[in-house]
Amino acid sequence: MKRLEAGIDVTLRVDHGTIAGVRIHSTRLVQAPCLLAGRSPTQAIAILPTLYALCGTAQALAGCSAMETALGLSPSPAQRMARRVLLRLETVTEHAQGILRDWPALLGEQPDPAWIKPLRPMLTTAKRALYPGGDWARPGGGMLAIDRGALVEQMRLVTTMVVHLLDSSPEDWAENLTTILSWMRRGEGVAARLIRRIDQAGLAGFGRAAPHLMPEAGPRDLDARLAADTTGAYVARPDGTGPDGAYTVLETNALSRQIGQPLVAGLMALHGTGLTTRFIARLVEITEALRELGDLVQDLCDDPAEAAEPSGSGSGLGVVDAARGLLAHRVEIEEGMVSRYQILAPTEWNFHPRGPLHAGLIGAEAGPDPEGRARLLVAALDPCVACSIRVDPHA
Amino acid sequence: MCMAVPSRIIAIDQGVATVEAFGTTRTTSLMLLDDAVGVGDYVILGAGGNFAAEKVEPDIAAEALAYLAEVLA
Repeated sequence: MKRLEAGIDVTLRVDHGTIAGVRIHSTRLVQAPCLLAGRSPTQAIAILPTLYALCGTAQALAGCSAMETALGLSPSPAQRMARRVLLRLETVTEHAQGILRDWPALLGEQPDPAWIKPLRPMLTTAKRALYPGGDWARPGGGMLAIDRGALVEQMRLVTTMVVHLLDSSPEDWAENLTTILSWMRRGEGVAARLIRRIDQAGLAGFGRAAPHLMPEAGPRDLDARLAADTTGAYVARPDGTGPDGAYTVLETNALSRQIGQPLVAGLMALHGTGLTTRFIARLVEITEALRELGDLVQDLCDDPAEAAEPSGSGSGLGVVDAARGLLAHRVEIEEGMVSRYQILAPTEWNFHPRGPLHAGLIGAEAGPDPEGRARLLVAALDPCVACSIRVDPHA
Repeated sequence: MCMAVPSRIIAIDQGVATVEAFGTTRTTSLMLLDDAVGVGDYVILGAGGNFAAEKVEPDIAAEALAYLAEVLA
């Protein structure tokens, strides 16, 4: 029987004060989606948010998008906007949950449940406020009937939570690099204190490596690579070749998405892809998503969708921005039934055996606690499963 | 892509639940869970498993467990 407790195991070898070996082994059940074959598109979409409950919104909407491409369905701009609201909200709540739940542990503190408990219900309430019938991931579009009051209230709650997390208003916080550096020196929230401690320990640039950042729409050959992936090797260890033809593993996360922000570019100039740049890129992503949500919520409008059962044949790729990075679903449908289903999740890029974790650790100074240093870089890259780290002199 | 495994609560002691799925038991903290839960309820665990993240209705849990049983077979 396969292991149910799938995860990532990182083994380090230290030689003369340097991390000389990094082995990354994943036991994640990346082939599990193939069992969606034999179901109807509606059945497949219905089970996705349950199977992948922690990023269930992104999973179901990637599946929905793949099926729309496969079946030639074109959702209206109103539907696309409502879906974008849900995706961005899941990104904010997932990042916030990771920060409020996991960053205290990196400081040796306990998380404060009062701020974490309301996060998941915010997303559930927002879905109901947009799609009262619960059909938010219906291919072609669901019955979009907006409860503006409920949505505005959720936005208020999310904003309050972000102010708590940053210990600052998002606008003031992200004004420029100087305000960020001042926040880092003086802020009292968990985020400021963690980044300050990293800075004081001289680890701001720890884990820096040559960046191989995912393009916005994903690799150009993504659909072809997935279509050709009959063994499942690509979804387990996605890779490619860079512009120079060299073997490349891309990374997909807040850093790859926010690199165009002057703040993040400024941090890159200071610390490269090191810990401080990565941790702050996640905070920048929260503030950017919040700003985008504010605009989207203003422009949302009702849209009754056609309630036809998806039918036909075809293949399609669906790509969405999940909280942890680019999430791709690919489906093949034959006469209204799913015949093939593939999912490529961000963790497979970010924790690839030759990906950014490996590149950031190999050759780095081990210091007195190499395991602790590796744990910080793992937290910055934010896997969606448990990650064990150990130092093995024989690795 | 964390598979969410609905786990059945078999005991609760001071905010820590013992949960079971596919014959394996483990403990998980209920401190971050917004829903009220009791013995017999299903929950999914957050990334890493130290904290329960969400209560799952029994029919949805059954459907997911049936799928996961196929995955693990």
